[in-house]
Amino acid sequence: MLRIRELSVHYGGLCALDKVSIDVEAGQFVAIVGPNGAGKTTLFKAISGTVGPSGGTIEYKGRDLLAVPPHQRPALGIAHVPEHRQVFPSMTVLENLQMGAYAPAAAAQWKRSLELIYELFPILAERGTQLAGTLSGGQQQMVAIGRGLANVPELLMLDEPSMGLAPAVVDMIFDRIQQIHKERELTILLVEQRAAEALESCDLGYVLETGRVAMVGDNQQLLNDKRLQQSYLGL
Amino acid sequence: MEFGIFLEDAAQALATGILVGGAYALMCVGLGIIFGSMRVINFAQGDFMMLGMYATYYLATSALVGVFGLYAGPAVAALLSGPILFAFGWLLHKTMISRVTGARVADMDGGGGYAQLILTLGIGLVLQNGGLILFGSTPIAVLTPLSRQSWEVGTVLLNQARVVAFVAAIGIAALVNLFLTYSRIGRGLRAAADNPVAATYMGVDVTKAHRIAFSLGVAVTAVAGGLLASSQSFQPYIGIDFVIVMYAGVVLGGLGSIMGAFWGGLTIGLVQQLSTLFLPYQLQNTTIFLVFLLIIFFWPQGMFGRVSERT
Ligand SMILES: Nc1ncnc2c1ncn2[C@@H]1O[C@H](COP(=O)(O)OP(=O)(O)OP(=O)(O)O)[C@@H](O)[C@H]1O
Ligand SMILES: [Mg+2]
Repeated sequence: MLRIRELSVHYGGLCALDKVSIDVEAGQFVAIVGPNGAGKTTLFKAISGTVGPSGGTIEYKGRDLLAVPPHQRPALGIAHVPEHRQVFPSMTVLENLQMGAYAPAAAAQWKRSLELIYELFPILAERGTQLAGTLSGGQQQMVAIGRGLANVPELLMLDEPSMGLAPAVVDMIFDRIQQIHKERELTILLVEQRAAEALESCDLGYVLETGRVAMVGDNQQLLNDKRLQQSYLGL
Repeated sequence: MEFGIFLEDAAQALATGILVGGAYALMCVGLGIIFGSMRVINFAQGDFMMLGMYATYYLATSALVGVFGLYAGPAVAALLSGPILFAFGWLLHKTMISRVTGARVADMDGGGGYAQLILTLGIGLVLQNGGLILFGSTPIAVLTPLSRQSWEVGTVLLNQARVVAFVAAIGIAALVNLFLTYSRIGRGLRAAADNPVAATYMGVDVTKAHRIAFSLGVAVTAVAGGLLASSQSFQPYIGIDFVIVMYAGVVLGGLGSIMGAFWGGLTIGLVQQLSTLFLPYQLQNTTIFLVFLLIIFFWPQGMFGRVSERT
């Protein structure tokens, strides 16, 4: 579904991604783990088009994604739930969710999407008219994920959904992501610093270090890897 | 007896202030849309208003609008100046403003603020001097018989031209607010204002959203100018006074809030008229700033500032 080949991104002189190749097959749950500054968010931004790569290719369902303007990429079925949630603070919860359905195809299914989002996160149904900027961190994350789902995506990209949340909320969020993946057969690309949780749920995992793919494998391979256990899994 | 006269004067100033305030409120809404959506520092807004006044003047005297008659004609002309200035704003954004705003300047010194300041001051100068060449320096006004007719409510005289302008201004402000609140484009504009990067992830073309916001803001302020033009004489330099009024109104209402800009503008109109009760006419703008400073002192967020946000 997503084929990234030798993708490089530079910020001025700094090389944030160095010839990274990543594959995501339809229906897969792919996790990308790695330390701060590894380039995980940069990779997501390159896929969404908010940073321009200095080399390499991105193919999505057989078409050259880099030729598609950033604002037209969501309509192809790519939803990006960004780092730090980035809800629209001065808009209500409902308006935030509806922004996810901005593309016409998603707008046509908005009513049904909203039902599914409320089923997944019932608390949001009670907070429909509250300004998203006044929600708690966990609630904002639910809005961010719900907003992504309102796009009726085929590929859901989540950038550190656990960041800054209490353990119980993190568990709930990971549960929901699993649920979305299984029940709707949605392809998931998850970036996480919580390597253990992320690798447990995934079919395929990548370890990104200082802009390079340091390791690839299925979840058993990675979870059992000695070096990985020491540096990321705290075992 | 003395006090009775003062009360009558006060009631008159209050009424005139509210009527004038309607057009002020609308022009502040125009600036508020632009500032709220793009955070662009725009000192040419008063000159866009001036263009709206001249567009209204020439439309009102044209054969085309003439068919609406002496009474409805000027108001129709003011409304028609909107689409014309919308197109002007579109062109201006496409050719110039977009080069100093949006994503591409986020990394520039001062977030592009300096470039915006110089550019819009420059555009303002060109419009003022161009206006001088094209329109001449003689003050003119849009003539309508309504300017010389009043309705009497008790002792208070309501100038008919001002009442028409007031009603039109409130109507347009309400429509603009409905558009921004409930339409898909309006939601896109607000999302792009809140967080342009996240808006892109939703599928919003942020540059286009900014272009729409800028053009709409120019058009709304131009219509406000056109409505004002039947009760206020103007020349190509009138924008300088009004850009100050507009910024005061927008800041007063709370930067970034459209409803705030509306109430801020109305307040400015009121203050300006009420000040004539106590102070010579020349001190009108000084009073505006005095009140402005007082309000900012007590409500630094503006009267309608946004709710505090968690980050
Ligand atoms: N806009 C930018 N300008 C300059 N350098 C940047 C920019 N964004 C990111 N970088 C740099 O690129 C590198 C990769 O950053 P990125 O945000 O992709 O890391 P990350 O893996 O998402 O980290 P984290 O886990 O902390 O979110 C870092 O060294 C960072 O400092
Ligand atoms: Mg990151």
